[in-house]
Amino acid sequence: MLLPPLPTWDSLHPLVIHFPIALLMTAPLFVVLGLTIPRIGKWFHWSALLLMVLGTLGSWVAVATGEAAGELAQRTPAISEVLERHEELAELTRTFFTLLTLGFAAFLIVPLARRKEFSCKVAMAVVLPFLLLYGGAMLSLVNTAHNGGLLVHEYGVHAMLPLEALPSESE
Amino acid sequence: MLSRTLLGFVASIFLVGVAAAQSVTATVAPVLDDNLPAEAAPSGKPMTVEDVKVGTTLENLMAAFNGESNANAKYLLYAEKAQAEGYGDVASLFRAAAKAEEVHAANHAEVIRRLGGKPEAKIEKVQPRTTAENLKDAIEGESYERDLMYPAFMKVARADRQRDAMRTINYAQVAEAGHAKMYAEAAEDLVRMTDSTGQVYYVCPTCGYTVTEAEYATFTKCPVCFTSAKTFEKVS
Repeated sequence: MLLPPLPTWDSLHPLVIHFPIALLMTAPLFVVLGLTIPRIGKWFHWSALLLMVLGTLGSWVAVATGEAAGELAQRTPAISEVLERHEELAELTRTFFTLLTLGFAAFLIVPLARRKEFSCKVAMAVVLPFLLLYGGAMLSLVNTAHNGGLLVHEYGVHAMLPLEALPSESE
Repeated sequence: MLSRTLLGFVASIFLVGVAAAQSVTATVAPVLDDNLPAEAAPSGKPMTVEDVKVGTTLENLMAAFNGESNANAKYLLYAEKAQAEGYGDVASLFRAAAKAEEVHAANHAEVIRRLGGKPEAKIEKVQPRTTAENLKDAIEGESYERDLMYPAFMKVARADRQRDAMRTINYAQVAEAGHAKMYAEAAEDLVRMTDSTGQVYYVCPTCGYTVTEAEYATFTKCPVCFTSAKTFEKVS
């Protein structure tokens, strides 16, 4: 068994979009676990940050590859409308998660720099509003994904995957 | 106690998110444009994409290049005529569309060269008629490209898996759809446009997407090719 053909940039979108969704949706669970299990909470928080960083990087790749794929999408007025909304939401989501990830990184790095942990009260005062904002970003992420799903499953807009020889329909 | 509070907090955020997502997405009505063909086939039945004579991707692009080059020349003549007749707004529209056709021709030419061909256009002599008739002619031309020619060419390019060809065809098809709509609006509103002094349009230098000044203010990136709106060319 050989590897499938290497994807081109404009065919990469369907291959990468699920990573940021899964990573960014999982990260807040680790943030909550970090608060609920204080003994090893710090490690949960660093794990959450890692998920956020990977998810956010994935969102940058998803937006860039999405634009490349969008250029090949055949348009009707309805498709254009959903595609535009998908693109706008994707950019918004990327911005949200970039800022949130930077904020959470600061939350973990500042105590290291000061060589003093935040008190439980301060940590709560930071993390609870953070989770609230994160919920808003997740809402944007879910809507972005939903519009992408509409494009593919309702309107039949597909990225073109690299293929070698395809069996013909008549065979 | 603390963990229950936190889990409840996160669960409520999630539920609010899901509810809001449903309310937002409910506004997206899946209404598909049928792209009804504008012309009738010789048999009297409406012409379909299948009735369009197609060749290879390269041949199709050569034909498209010829069509775009002729449209560019024709619209510039129509613009002069509209200006002379006092339809400044219509003249601006023709000039903007001519600019877009120039972008399409350049895009097609680039792909033709990449496929090993030589872009050549045979510019046909056109005698402009009245602006009303010129608008009608322009609507027919754009509608044909939007509904029949480019969809047929796209099928071939997709089957050939020619991404560059698909991209340039897609760019042109979307812009032509916009032109057809704007020409139709101008034709309907021609009387009001008498003695108009001209209007500002913006044309995407990458894909030829053409918009009015009001629409231009609504986006930061081209909705078709995602080029920065700052690079759009102003045509009046």
